[in-house]
Amino acid sequence: MKLLRLRLANYRGIDKSEVRFGSNGLTIVEGANEAGKTSLGEAIRLLFDYLDSSKNQSIGAIRPVHLDAGPEIELEAESGPYVFTYFKRFYKKPETTLKITSPKPENHTGREAHERANEILHETIDIDLWKALCIQQGEAIQQANLSNKTSLSAALDVAAGGHRADPREETLFDEVREEYRRYFTEHGSEKKELQEAKKAQDKLEIEVVSLEKQIQDLETDIVRAADLGLKLERLKKQELNLQADISKYTKSLDEIKNLENVLETARLKLESAQKSEQAAERDKEVRQELIDAVTKAHEAHSKRYESIKISTTSVKKEKTDMDTAQSDSSSAEAQRKETESLLNLYRADYDYFNNKLHLEQLKERKAHIESAWEEAARAEELLAKNNVDEETLKAIQKAERSLIENKAKLEIGAPNVLLRGLTDLDFQIDGEQNTIAKDEERNLSVSDRVCVTIPGYLQMELIAGSSLSNLLKKVKDAKQKLDTACEDVGVSNVDEAMESFDVRREAQQSIERQKKIEIENLRDLTYEELEKIVTGLEISVPAYPADRVPEPNLPPNLEFAKKELGCTEDGLETANKVWEEARRKLDAARKLHDGLNEKYQKMKVELDLKDDELKHVESKLTRSRRITPDDELESELSKYTENVCTEKEKVKSAEENLRDKEPDKVRTLAETANGSLQTVEKTRLAAQKENMEVRTRLKIFGEEGLHEKHHTARSHLEHIRQENAALFRRALAANLLYETIKEERDKVRLGYVGPLKEKIEKLGRIVFNNSFEVEVTENLEVASRTMDGYNVPFESLSGGTKEQISLISRLACAMTVSKDSGAPLILDDALGYSDPERLKLMGAVLAKAGRECQIIMLTCVPDRYSNVGEATVIRL
Amino acid sequence: MTRHFFSEGVQERFAQSRFDAIRKLGRIAEEEECKFMVVCGDVFESNLVDRKTVLLALEALKDVPVPVYLLPGNHDPLNAASVYGSTVFLERKPVHVHVIEDTTPIRVDEDIEIVGVPWTSKRPLQDLVALATEQLENVVDTMRVCVAHGTVDSLSPNPDDPALISLKAAENAISQNKVHYVAFGYRHSLTEVVDSGYIWYAGTPEPTDFNEMKPGFALVATINEVGVTTKEVNIGKWNFIEREQVDLNTKEDIEALRNWFENLEGKEQTVVKLRFIGALSLSLYSELEELLSHFQEIIGAVETRMNNLVVIPEDADFMDLGFSGFASRTVERLRSNIENSGSDNITSRDALALLVRLAGREL
Repeated sequence: MKLLRLRLANYRGIDKSEVRFGSNGLTIVEGANEAGKTSLGEAIRLLFDYLDSSKNQSIGAIRPVHLDAGPEIELEAESGPYVFTYFKRFYKKPETTLKITSPKPENHTGREAHERANEILHETIDIDLWKALCIQQGEAIQQANLSNKTSLSAALDVAAGGHRADPREETLFDEVREEYRRYFTEHGSEKKELQEAKKAQDKLEIEVVSLEKQIQDLETDIVRAADLGLKLERLKKQELNLQADISKYTKSLDEIKNLENVLETARLKLESAQKSEQAAERDKEVRQELIDAVTKAHEAHSKRYESIKISTTSVKKEKTDMDTAQSDSSSAEAQRKETESLLNLYRADYDYFNNKLHLEQLKERKAHIESAWEEAARAEELLAKNNVDEETLKAIQKAERSLIENKAKLEIGAPNVLLRGLTDLDFQIDGEQNTIAKDEERNLSVSDRVCVTIPGYLQMELIAGSSLSNLLKKVKDAKQKLDTACEDVGVSNVDEAMESFDVRREAQQSIERQKKIEIENLRDLTYEELEKIVTGLEISVPAYPADRVPEPNLPPNLEFAKKELGCTEDGLETANKVWEEARRKLDAARKLHDGLNEKYQKMKVELDLKDDELKHVESKLTRSRRITPDDELESELSKYTENVCTEKEKVKSAEENLRDKEPDKVRTLAETANGSLQTVEKTRLAAQKENMEVRTRLKIFGEEGLHEKHHTARSHLEHIRQENAALFRRALAANLLYETIKEERDKVRLGYVGPLKEKIEKLGRIVFNNSFEVEVTENLEVASRTMDGYNVPFESLSGGTKEQISLISRLACAMTVSKDSGAPLILDDALGYSDPERLKLMGAVLAKAGRECQIIMLTCVPDRYSNVGEATVIRL
Repeated sequence: MTRHFFSEGVQERFAQSRFDAIRKLGRIAEEEECKFMVVCGDVFESNLVDRKTVLLALEALKDVPVPVYLLPGNHDPLNAASVYGSTVFLERKPVHVHVIEDTTPIRVDEDIEIVGVPWTSKRPLQDLVALATEQLENVVDTMRVCVAHGTVDSLSPNPDDPALISLKAAENAISQNKVHYVAFGYRHSLTEVVDSGYIWYAGTPEPTDFNEMKPGFALVATINEVGVTTKEVNIGKWNFIEREQVDLNTKEDIEALRNWFENLEGKEQTVVKLRFIGALSLSLYSELEELLSHFQEIIGAVETRMNNLVVIPEDADFMDLGFSGFASRTVERLRSNIENSGSDNITSRDALALLVRLAGREL
């Protein structure tokens, strides 16, 4: 379709407006805002869409604002073979006219005109595509929705070398896709309905299995209950049999017990008889033993008696010998004692003389000590008075030396006054009385001041100069020190001090000497001990002669005493030897005697014992015989032996009787039966318990209606399976059909996407560069742009580029369909986002497209399209 | 009793029919002046039936005006989980309803005794009837009815079954005057076991499956010194129809099937099982599906087996579509799949049918 002329009257704010479009190429409609540019595109759409009587809001909106008149639209156009003028007045005096001039004249009015116009439109152009390609204000950046645009598809099909696409197939495809979408999502996943169906089936299958399991468990329990019933019956029977066996065994055991008692009694009796027999035998043995013992005791007694007789003689003889030895020993001992007494006397005498001598010596030592003590006391006394010890002396001597030294210094420095006696004269120096003989010279050193006085005549005061006063003072100090030192120890001068020191040293030596004397005389004693010994001896020594026996006489002196003592000691030694010999002999005799005597005593005791023993056994035998004579014992034994034989027979008989009853076997069987009974009872109780449990389970679960539940669930499952099978079959069919038809459609689509892609790229390379490529989807949308090797998705491109590619895409489509179903491309205020450089290039694109299709550009910015080449420009 | 081919509502109707059958039996007993009624085993489908089922059965039995003797059978044996020992049964059992628990003769009337042979397990290991009748003494002046359950050896395909009932032994018992009539349960079909008329299977009062020969009857037996006479009274409401080979090749065959469905009586209480054979075009197959879908909503249950029905797409199926582009290519590919009989044969066929349907609906 080509627009030739459009006239508007009473349209919105437009009173009258007529635009004549260029029959080919570009038409630029310029106009300021509200000049009615947009109304041009709108008016063409309203002209075809609405009846003149329409009360639609869109029609209401185009009424003139300040005028009560109907909006008028008149369009002169070519479409396919048709050339027509189409007029409509809306709202006020509505009117529609259609005047067709080619291919054959036609005139229509009213609804007929409207329907005919639409018929022509539908017949000659793809209205949807036309609307999609046109750019309304404000939507320039968006791509046109080109999917399912029949004419474009057909054109592309043709361009791709295929058949013209059947629009019904697209509709069928939509139907197929709709069917597919009933079961699957856009991404091919199963929809909830399918998932739920599967889940429901799975759930039911689990339920059926669970119910079958429960029923199976119950069936098992039913079988088990029957088995348990039989088992309990069998166990009960076993119990009864065992109880009967036990009863039988109990009876047998009672009999066995009786027989055992009989046997026990017989054995006891036999034992008793055997014991009696043994007792009789023992009595008899005891009796014989007694008889033997008496005989033996007799023999032993006789033997001992003979022995003791011999022993008595020996003892007597030894006694005599021992007495003799005793007598000899006593004599020797008396002699020894006598000699010993004499020896003691002489020893006392000797001691006496010794003590006497000792006393004297001690007295002498004591006197030496006491004398030394006195001497020492005196020395001590002297020492107490004399204080001049070595140190003091040295101090005094030191002070003296100091004085001398100072004096010497004074004398050297001091004025020296030579006094020369002209006569013997007494005079005083500093008040001290001095005498000077005639011709005697005396130097007088004046250290400070010296006053020489001749009493009654003259007093001469010699005063030293000032330099001497210090020397004089030192002399005085030294003198003072010496005096003080002398005074301290009680001497007047140094000489006296030295004397005192010598006296003191002598006294000290005397004390040491006396101490030595004391030590020598005391020796190892103390003085007190010495004094005690002396005192004792002074008492004992004088008393001894008085206290001593008169005979023999006291020797005259120590020498004699010593001699007597020596003689007596010899005598005592001899006497001791004699006595020792006598005593040895006595000991030997006594030992022999004692040995024999002991042996005799022992034999005597043994004899007494044998005698007692004999008497005892004889007495015992007598008593025993008195109770039971020997023959009676013999008869008793015979009787008991016979009795034992009888009892043995009885025991044997009882044992045989018991053996016949097989007690061990019976007892074992009874025990086994008891054990078996217990086992059976336990088994029965366990079975009863299990039976109870099984029956309880059966009671509980058996009445739950599992049968119906199971059948219902199975039935339900079967239904669901069938339904699901049908559902999934339908879904599979829909899926297969969709996949197949889509594949086939895509193949075709991809075929015709190629020409469109080629056209877009051809136009695009004018604006961009030679590397410009686009990816076009099956919906004929540009998915991405590739330039200089970089691929950028459409949505990520800048606003300007998006706008340019969208416009290029529209132009490419318009060019594609222009021959058959082409319609004018109306661009309202497009390319608002493009920079001047791009605008220039886009102008070239528009110019190229304008050569193949009609393009009407509405703009309020005329400069925007200054580079579109040759164009019809209309100013509103 | 549940059947997988029933929908939920139909299942409930079917179950109710079985309870109704009990009441109907009661009415017949009254009409026929019966002295008692015996149910020869499998009163309940299982011992594990729901409490409600037991309650409803007892409620129905309550309406039966004569004494009723229930024999435990292989489905409801008198074992540890027996429904007859359940709390609900013991608590709600009407006084005139009795459970035969052993083979001791039960005096029903002055001159009538019942000797029941109840099952105590699901799989007896011997002929219980022979065992019971062997121990019986013959009777004079008393009519004795043996009530038993199981398969008579003359009717069993499995001679090794240890529980088979010896027909000879049963006949011997009759000839020895130990019993005068044997009422068997087990077979769902009304069956006269021997021509003498003394031994019968009464069958199930309400059909339950396709393989039953003569279900849905109550058997009224009149027993006296002269002999036995029986009367069959149809009480079943449901009808199970199975057609083994329904040949479908042409549109006429589809129409014949439609007519057959239309002519069915008591559609809502009819259960149909159809096994199709033949080959249909895609469009005819679509018609068949529509037809079945229609009648499945009307008839009690429709079960179909299509294993032997081949669907072959024909050119005629696509003649009217008039596609030339990708849709046409799609049709070609799917037809190719079907012709190559690949693993997705059925799916391809369904996909093609779907395409035809969508195209037909929209184009």
